[in-house]
Amino acid sequence: MHRTGSGGVKKLVQRTVDILQSADVDYGEVRAELIRTENTDFRNARLDDCRTVETQGVGIRVLVNGSWGFAACTGLERDDIEAAAARAVEIAGAAGGRGKVELAPLDIQQGVYTGPCRKDPFEVPREDKIALLQQVSDDMMKDPRIKSSQARLWFEKRNRVIGTTRGDLIETDLIFTQPDVMATAVAGGDAQSRSMQDGARIAGWEWIEQSGIASWGEKAREEALMKVLADESPSGRMDLLLDGLHLSLTMHESVGHPTESDRALGWEANMAGRTFVKLSDQGSLRYGSSLVNFLADNTLPYGVATWGWDDDLVPGQKWYTVKNGIFQEFGSVRETALLIGKQASRGCCRAMDTQCFPINRQPNFYLEPPDNGVTPEELASDIDHGIWIEGRGSFSIDQRRENFQFGGDLFWEIKNGKKTRPLKKVIYRSRTPEFWSSLDGIADRKFFRTMGLLTCGKGEPGQSARMTHGASYCRFRGIEVGGGR
Amino acid sequence: MTKQEMLAFVQAAVEASGTTDSIAVLTENRNASVRFGQNKITQNMDVFKRELQLTVGDGSKQATVTSQRIDHSALAEIASEARNLLDTSTPDPEYMPPVEGGQVYPVIDEAWDEFTGECPAAPRMETVGKLIDTAEENNMKAAGICWMQNNQTAVATSTGNLAAHRYTSAGLSFTMDRGLASSRTFLKGTAWAELEVDPEIQKVVEQVEMDENATDVPPGDYKLILEPQATWNLLMFLPWIMSARLADEGTSVFSGMEGKKITGENFSLSSSLYGTPPAIPFNTEGLPSRDVVWIEKGVLKNLPCDRFTAQKTGRPPLFVPETMDMAGGEGSVEDLVAGVDRGILIRRFWYIRFVDQKTLKLTGMTRDGVFLVENGKIVRPLKDFRWNWRPLELFSRILRIGKSVQRAAGMVPPVVIAEQHYPFTDQEGSSEVPGT
Repeated sequence: MHRTGSGGVKKLVQRTVDILQSADVDYGEVRAELIRTENTDFRNARLDDCRTVETQGVGIRVLVNGSWGFAACTGLERDDIEAAAARAVEIAGAAGGRGKVELAPLDIQQGVYTGPCRKDPFEVPREDKIALLQQVSDDMMKDPRIKSSQARLWFEKRNRVIGTTRGDLIETDLIFTQPDVMATAVAGGDAQSRSMQDGARIAGWEWIEQSGIASWGEKAREEALMKVLADESPSGRMDLLLDGLHLSLTMHESVGHPTESDRALGWEANMAGRTFVKLSDQGSLRYGSSLVNFLADNTLPYGVATWGWDDDLVPGQKWYTVKNGIFQEFGSVRETALLIGKQASRGCCRAMDTQCFPINRQPNFYLEPPDNGVTPEELASDIDHGIWIEGRGSFSIDQRRENFQFGGDLFWEIKNGKKTRPLKKVIYRSRTPEFWSSLDGIADRKFFRTMGLLTCGKGEPGQSARMTHGASYCRFRGIEVGGGR
Repeated sequence: MTKQEMLAFVQAAVEASGTTDSIAVLTENRNASVRFGQNKITQNMDVFKRELQLTVGDGSKQATVTSQRIDHSALAEIASEARNLLDTSTPDPEYMPPVEGGQVYPVIDEAWDEFTGECPAAPRMETVGKLIDTAEENNMKAAGICWMQNNQTAVATSTGNLAAHRYTSAGLSFTMDRGLASSRTFLKGTAWAELEVDPEIQKVVEQVEMDENATDVPPGDYKLILEPQATWNLLMFLPWIMSARLADEGTSVFSGMEGKKITGENFSLSSSLYGTPPAIPFNTEGLPSRDVVWIEKGVLKNLPCDRFTAQKTGRPPLFVPETMDMAGGEGSVEDLVAGVDRGILIRRFWYIRFVDQKTLKLTGMTRDGVFLVENGKIVRPLKDFRWNWRPLELFSRILRIGKSVQRAAGMVPPVVIAEQHYPFTDQEGSSEVPGT
């Protein structure tokens, strides 16, 4: 387990909370973070970027007469933090009561959460990391038709302390680890890429060892070549067999975003957009077939949204977003919970860093896999004509999160129940409830795969958030497929 | 920090590096903004950030450390960490030393406005209050953001280059809606005083009223009238993949196209130091910005080119200096609409992504206003729709170009594009997915 020394940060937070107490705010919250990242990036088999980034700062959020004020500074200098506290109080007061904020109740929170990490990646010799990436990169570049390659290891150590004028005080220590590999093949006037997409985990170097990255270079090379030489997609309505990595993005866009409470309330109407799901749909909207169970889980081991508490200090929870195909409940924060008719927040409030105001984000969530022993091949055996898709590719969805188009990373045609020739440039289009209602088969949980996403963009000014999604192979009937030429 | 303090700090960082090659970049910015949604203020923010990036090299390899400890006493430790990283790095066959000393940087004082740089809260609150009141008076909901920013940056290289620059930005972006009818606008300038807020609020209210009771787009042939925001949404994908390196690797639509025609003759794209918005006068390597013509009368003249590729291929090292203009013409959106017999007016696009990078094929949706135009008049609103297009093909078929206005990072005009057949989802087939 990893721990960052943070006694000084706790004192600094407590001292700033005291300043807010004396300013007589209705609610005051001080969030301090120490973040260290290490990036080692190979491009075309040469060390292209080798860097560390150390960020530290404090974000202060206060409520005055129902209006938020938020100010932040980088560094941990006392004068800067006191100035930020004063600015937060001042601008909250300047809002003139146009905020109307009412927070859902929450018991006082105190404690420490440390994410799982068996081997601190910052303790692994950099020479070992460079040697690993060099080998993976060399494997990709062995074929002259691979014109571009990337291999990257990224690690982050994040220590967060939050204190409030209510008496809350929590601390989290997390380590994030992400390997990335991508090869691009050029042949026959075309260029196609293949990437390894399991993404990030809250874990240490053990995730690098488990990921199998040492073999990814050869795999990316061969599959990029297979892809660039493949036939292009057929068009028409057909069945799809989609793997967990692919579905991670589909569910992120068509389930995760539409079920964020701030969208339903119209707060994202100018940027990320609204949602087709209405507040009155909770507990009644048919979102998918009876096989569809989306389980939100901010306690998921190694899930990148498993932080112990969110930035509202609400503990991580587990709940059904969709149960037996019926939409259950929006993901919420303390500010939105009462507005959507709930008595407590689901703990979806997070900021990218101390420079950002925390907003409603997606939790970790996944399509619950069954214990049915079914294999992907058995699902394919009942498909006359369809496409087998693995991994993520092109993606786009309307602002109400209903009309979407997705690509993928690897494709094969399914003919008469068999996986046959490889394809490229496959895209499919559908509408959210119709798509999830067309799901009629899920493979056994042993085929379940997760993807940890670090870069979900939302908010103004823009900020990114992290969450993990997952699924086993799923079969969808009668989806419109078009060529991505 | 004052300009002198920033310059002194980056010089001290270079001196502390202890390596033959080094580059220090210090940035400082304050961003004060008010965010609102559903006719109430949801976020009220004032954020200050300061950061040092120190890159060190030994003639064969390099390493970079970024830190937010902006304190002269921290420099020795930051430099030591950078050297430790450097020691464990491996030689880079593409290593480039810092740019030669004696670089001359353009001075762009027009980028700073004193009032905006102070980031006072009252004008933002007043504007947002007015906007929310107008929305409520019209039974509409308003959401958006209103901001003021100041930014400073300084760069020093071990080869003796030293420069600083500062700029301000003010903006207002908001959407009003009533049911499914909506409209959005975006105002941006170097100075708060440049924002013409009142007429824009009224215009958006009128546009929401026009957007009510939208119907599906009937199949058929339509000219496309793109408002400046829609033009910008397509245009911004060009700099993302305009790269000499990608072209040489054969992975981009620009491979083998330098000096060749890639759009119609009425399409030109350039970056101007004193454009709108003004350029940043140098990049993080300490290379001076310059005026560049990227596409001239349809011919690809230049591609952004990193210094290694430039040295290898004989191209000039070039980068987009945070501003890019598409050449405009005469006439407003209304003037363009008046000249179209049958067309679709599109206010903006949303969620554009690559379908095929090699051919620069994109997909996306319309958002916040689509209208049927017949005989020079807007006749009714249409529902949003999905499209799959190649923007270089669209820019090869521009019939008319209107007067440019500022969008996020450049000046862009409204345009009229020759007939397209709806549905727009595939050239080779039709979409069965209707709009929303």
